[in-house]
Amino acid sequence: MLVRVAGLSRIYTSGEERVVGIEGATFDVAAGELAVLEGPSGSGKTTLLNLLGLLDTPDAGTLVLDGVDTAGLDDRGRARFRRERLGFVFQAHQLVPVLSAEENVALALWIRGLPEAECRARAREALAAVGLADQAGRRPDALSGGQRQRVAVARAIVGRPALVLADEPTASLDSETGRRLLDLFEELHTQRGTAFLFSSHDPAIVARAHRRLRLRDGRVVEDVRLGPSTGPAAPSPGAAPGGAGA
Amino acid sequence: MSLRWWRLAARNLLRHRRRTALTGSIVVVGFVATTMTAGFVAQTFRSLAEVTIRGLGGQLRIVNPDALGKTDEEAMGLLLDDWEGLARIAREDPNVVQAMPRLTFFGLAVKGEKSAAYLGTGTVPALEKRASLTADSVASGSFFADPRADDVMLGGGLARAIGAGPGDLVTVMTTTPDGGLNAVDANVTAVLRYPIKEVDDRLLFLTYESAARLLKAEGKASAVVVLLRDGADLETAASGLRERLARAGRRASVKTWLDSAAFYKQVQLLYAAIFLFTGLVLATVVVLAAANTMTMAVFERTREIGTLLAIGTDRRDVRRLFLAEGAILGVGGSLLGGAASLLLRAALNAARLPLPPPPGGTVGGVLHVDLIPLAYLIGFALMTATLLAASWWPARRAARLDPVKALAHV
Ligand SMILES: Nc1ncnc2c1ncn2[C@@H]1O[C@H](COP(=O)(O)OP(=O)(O)OP(=O)(O)O)[C@@H](O)[C@H]1O
Ligand SMILES: [Mg+2]
Repeated sequence: MLVRVAGLSRIYTSGEERVVGIEGATFDVAAGELAVLEGPSGSGKTTLLNLLGLLDTPDAGTLVLDGVDTAGLDDRGRARFRRERLGFVFQAHQLVPVLSAEENVALALWIRGLPEAECRARAREALAAVGLADQAGRRPDALSGGQRQRVAVARAIVGRPALVLADEPTASLDSETGRRLLDLFEELHTQRGTAFLFSSHDPAIVARAHRRLRLRDGRVVEDVRLGPSTGPAAPSPGAAPGGAGA
Repeated sequence: MSLRWWRLAARNLLRHRRRTALTGSIVVVGFVATTMTAGFVAQTFRSLAEVTIRGLGGQLRIVNPDALGKTDEEAMGLLLDDWEGLARIAREDPNVVQAMPRLTFFGLAVKGEKSAAYLGTGTVPALEKRASLTADSVASGSFFADPRADDVMLGGGLARAIGAGPGDLVTVMTTTPDGGLNAVDANVTAVLRYPIKEVDDRLLFLTYESAARLLKAEGKASAVVVLLRDGADLETAASGLRERLARAGRRASVKTWLDSAAFYKQVQLLYAAIFLFTGLVLATVVVLAAANTMTMAVFERTREIGTLLAIGTDRRDVRRLFLAEGAILGVGGSLLGGAASLLLRAALNAARLPLPPPPGGTVGGVLHVDLIPLAYLIGFALMTATLLAASWWPARRAARLDPVKALAHV
């Protein structure tokens, strides 16, 4: 199992106030899944993705990623895990403005200390995979919003991570461009077996996932398989049988 | 740190052109201020040393050892015998330009009904003219020339007090070492202008011959003043002279101009303190300005830093990235500052700006900024260290950001 989450909680406290970010989340994600976190604003999507991406630490529960119990990782260990085993796509593209598309993608390998030639070659390959082979030399400000988000996807997959986490990757895109980004996720998922876990509250986008985890008030209230998956066919333990609510 | 981080740092600096230019120009100004101050101070030291040496008539003084530690009046009777023998020994050193006798004495100068006290120096005109400041301070008349003539030169104050001017005859009266009264009628060739009034009021120069006759001290001298070639090492020349005097069996002490230049040493200390203080103020200003822009850079790029950290960049690499930006600014600014310093120095020196006389001097020179390679090195080290210091806290702050909060930063 790629992701194993059990009783995961994150409670925000500010002074007297205690706000539930996520509470008692329990589910698995298999390798190669294309899964969506769905839920209204404030339901805990970002909180959960931050926990899964080792950007934040839970107050309770266990999180096992790719066989590694993440509770045993310190700050540097988590950073290392992120750069070597995870990919990230953020809501706004978050590219480095002074780097070209190719360099932005290569950045994900630079930080691993890989040799320049290898970084460049793999960055070009990843750019080709997202259909931007001809834009490699452009800086982010010379690219469209959709192109930038594709560069961000290329940066996320260039290190061949088993899991890509994406918090509202289509939120800053128009619906057509958002749809094409999902085509890309699906394609990469099919071709490379990369698992994607992304959040969205756009029904059209949510519908594209093969698995849906619905959040409400910090709890996972529904877990359904919707469509084809190249991942292992075994049902998630937390999934509601028969895909109720689909 | 690998080249790619340096390149990223450099590109970030280029992207924020205005901010980079601002911080960079602060570095350039800091660098130029360092080198110009050092160059100007060095020049001031040099001309002050020159003035001091010319005031004394030379770098070394041979004196009667018994006169050391005595008051001027007590020392006045303690003369050196056979000054010419001493001068000959001094001149054995090829670094010695000349050695001249000086007799110091005091008494009354009289013209008609008027008289005034003087402090006199008996000296050889040609040697005095070449070595001493007096040659530059002739107010009227001309510097005396004939070594055998009974010629006298008066300070402006003294000349006024007795109503004498060039061409007048003045009676110079004194007490001889054996207690007798003696006088010489001398012809005034020049009135001098000395910048210190107390000295100007009493200044009197007589030819050595006249003074020796007046004091009944033929062949003797209060001091033999030795002028060295430019660039000759002072201590080497002094110890060489001491050795030769001892070998010749002459009982005489050698003092360097620094031994008797308390004023020079005070000024040197003062300048060193001013230079240090200027450097500190400068470094502080540069640190504050640079720290401010670096902090702004970190603040503006919070989301970018958040992204870098989120995708797993080691915090140390983030810190190095910002330190690298500081280092590039420091080094680049210093290089530009070096070029600017050379240009400014050339322009200032070419402009030949007039300067007031240095402390204790009579004539002002023109502004000249020396080229002090050490100052360029110091400027380079100071500015680079300053920029690194200024980047330290912002870089540390960047490296310690929480990626989640940084990504949410707007
Ligand atoms: N740093 C924080 N401090 C306090 N409370 C927080 C913090 N971050 C999130 N929360 C709270 O935790 C809950 C879950 O927030 P979260 O951002 O995970 O929701 P979300 O599903 O991502 O919402 P959205 O769709 O608006 O992005 C909300 O009630 C939110 O107010
Ligand atoms: Mg959110």
